[in-house]
Parts: sequence; structure tokens; C-alpha cells
Amino acid sequence: MLRKRLIGVVTVKDGWAVQSMGYGRYLPLGHPEYLVENLDRWGADEILVMSIDRSVHKLGPDLSLLKRLSAMGLSTPLTYGGGIHKAEEAVAVIQSGAERICLDAVLHDDPQQAYKMAALIGAQALVGSLPLSVEAQGLCWYDYRSKTTTLLDSKHLTLFADGLISEALIIDWHHEGQQNSFNSHLISLFPHKEIPLIAFGGLSDANQLKDVLAYPQVVAAGVGNFLNYSEHAFQSLKKNLTSSVLRPAKYVGSFS
Amino acid sequence: MTRLVVGIINYGIGNYASLHHTLYDIGHRCRITDDPIVLKQCDILLLPGVGAFRPAMEALKARSLDDFLLQQSRGKKPILGICLGMQLLADASHEGGYTKGLGLIPGEVRPLVEPRWHIGWNTIEITQDDRLFQPSSGDSFYFNHSYTYQGPKEFQVCQASVGRTIPAVIRQGTVIGMQFHPEKSQISGRSLLKRLIEGLCHA
Repeated sequence: MLRKRLIGVVTVKDGWAVQSMGYGRYLPLGHPEYLVENLDRWGADEILVMSIDRSVHKLGPDLSLLKRLSAMGLSTPLTYGGGIHKAEEAVAVIQSGAERICLDAVLHDDPQQAYKMAALIGAQALVGSLPLSVEAQGLCWYDYRSKTTTLLDSKHLTLFADGLISEALIIDWHHEGQQNSFNSHLISLFPHKEIPLIAFGGLSDANQLKDVLAYPQVVAAGVGNFLNYSEHAFQSLKKNLTSSVLRPAKYVGSFS
Repeated sequence: MTRLVVGIINYGIGNYASLHHTLYDIGHRCRITDDPIVLKQCDILLLPGVGAFRPAMEALKARSLDDFLLQQSRGKKPILGICLGMQLLADASHEGGYTKGLGLIPGEVRPLVEPRWHIGWNTIEITQDDRLFQPSSGDSFYFNHSYTYQGPKEFQVCQASVGRTIPAVIRQGTVIGMQFHPEKSQISGRSLLKRLIEGLCHA
């Protein structure tokens, strides 16, 4: 049986892992390698590393970070996002050790690039990041670089609907970093019910995660900041998620 | 335990660090190379792969590794294909047009339909009596693909369910293909790789 996934998210800014609050405030955590190592050891279903400043500074993907992470010999699938604008960059990220890539800025600037990327690495390797909010006019898509929102409509989701991008990472950017505050209207208002969703932003509580994972369209949920406050946080969350939709928790003691 | 030498075929496609790390962890030496002289000396060969079928086959042919692998399989050298590496073992793929594969396991590779991809942790179920895979029946492994093997049932050892059942493991003699990533499947992947390598090499 195919399980839903609980993803450990590591946000990286200026080369440092950070806690991110509402896409505007950042608190340093340390070297991203240590957070990734923890998630790998804790048996996360997937690790998502998001380098949030690469596109802003036109730096391209952080291949150096990826190579360091890859050299750790992770036994957990890795998705990387940040600075990927061209098909050759997508290939480079995969060759550097990520299983999948996450696209954000390029979906605004040059979405046609996703066609080339899908042809080279497969649609299953593409995740599209959609920071969303519920505004008076409806569901809106946020561009973190210009700090502007656009009403989300079907034309923005063509790449997903056509199967060029396999999953949409919907981020409650308003509530990012706020405990137990993910707005599930982002799921219920999402226009295309056939597009698999990964929910992220303000997810911290097991009961809330259980509710979010109960949506048929949601295939995974991401937790970031709230994994950094206690040891075995990931396993504790899984243990408290008594639903069978997730792979059971693996404990440190189970590792040989 | 005798430390076996695992040859990871480096044909320029993919990243081998996780595989190397896992193999080292389970107690075996690795050689990551495209040199047939070195690969011939290995106890078992691993064919990893990510991305698209055609460029992968072109990369293998450019290094004459297609002929090499055929020779090795005829000599009963154990060969493990992983993910795209599994698909390369087939006769051909229909990804981006028709491309011939290595032809080591009869069958072809075609796109998944409904769903169009298979992403995440899924359990595998054994469909044939195979002592190497039996202990892993019911374990979860990480899958990430949008094409699947289609071929005679006799070569299908394990299956996974994603709307319908699809082959998770194929095998002909000492040539085995796994659609999932054992090196990214934590404990279950490590256990399986250990059992496969030691079982095939000590058989």
C-alpha cells in the first residue's frame, strides 16, 4: 500500500539553516547538514531542503550544499529547491544527489522551462512550490521576491494539470512558523482536485497533521521549524499520528 | 564474513554516494568505475540510474558497457539494476520514443497510466517463490518513477500496488532489477541489499 509522507523541511538562507516565520523573519539554526543528518537518522519519509535566497541573488542551485549532503550518504529521499531556472540546472541537481527538485521562481518567470525539465528528469522528479493565501478575492499565489500576490487561476496550474509537474507544494506562507495554524482552506479551495498536494506552513500538531493528511488530495505534509525543538521530534509526531496512512515510525533503537 | 567487492557502474548518470555509503555500511567494498577490467574483478555489479532512458542507454553504449553487461550476464555474473537501471535491463523502452535496452530481461518499459507516476513509500509483495526476496515481502521501499516494466510474469518476482499492481522486482537468473531505491529506503533497503549481495555471491 502506497503511504502518505511526512516530510522534514530544512530552510536554508545564506548557507545557514534557519527557522522561517511568515516569509519575513529568520532565526539561525546552524549548518543544514546537521538538520539533514538528524532527519535521516530519525527515519523521515523524505527531506526537503529549500534554499530560499538563491533566485533572489540569481545564484542558481546550491550544488555545493547538495554535494556535501550527498557525501553524507543519506538513506532518505532528498528533494531540493532553490535557484533552479534552467533544464541543465535541474539535471545538475539530480546528478548532485537529489531525487526530486522543487520549483518556485521559475514558475512565475519562465514556466515553459518545466517542459524541458520534465523531458530530461521525468515529471515524477518535479515539485511545484505554490505559496498561497486566502484573500478577499479568493486563493492567491505569492511571489516572495516581489512580495506580491496574484489570484490563482487554472492557467497557473496548466503544468500540473498536464502532468509536467507531479505534485504541488502548497505553502501557507502567512502562517509559516506559527504553531498549529495551517489554513486548510488552501486545500479545500484549491481549484484542481486531481493535482496531488503537499501541505506545508504552520503544521506542528499531530491532530492537525492527521486532519490535513485525511484530505484525499494531500499526499504528504511538511514540517519544518517544529522539528527543531526536541529530540526525536519526527518520531514523536509519527507515533502520535495513529492513522495508518503514514509509514510507521522508526526509532533510533531500531537502527542496527 | 568475506568482504565482497561491489562494482557500481559509473556511466555518468546519477549520484552514487548513497549507494556507496549503504554498501560500505553493510560491510562490502565498492569500486565505482566504467573500466571493464576493474568491473570484471568485482563479485557483483550494480547498475544505478536516474533520469531518462535514452540518454542512459547512449551513455552505456558510448562506453561499450552494453556489450560488457551482456557478456557478464552470460557468464552468470550477478547484476542488480536499480530504478532506471532496472528499466535498462529490459528489451526496450517507449519513453520519449522507442529505444532499445540491454535485453537482459525480456519485456518493455511503458508509461504508467492512472496514476501517471509512483512516488513515495510502498510495500512490495512477493509473487514468486524467491528466498532472497521473501523476507522483504510486506516491507516498504521508496519509489519514484513514471515508467514501468511490462513483460512475462515469469520474470516478475515482486509487485507493488498503485491503483493497480506493477512489477517492483524483475529477475532472470542472476540479473535482478528493482524499481525502487533500496539505498534510499533506510532499514528495509539496507537489509535487502545485504541479503541480495551476499545471497547472489555465495550461491
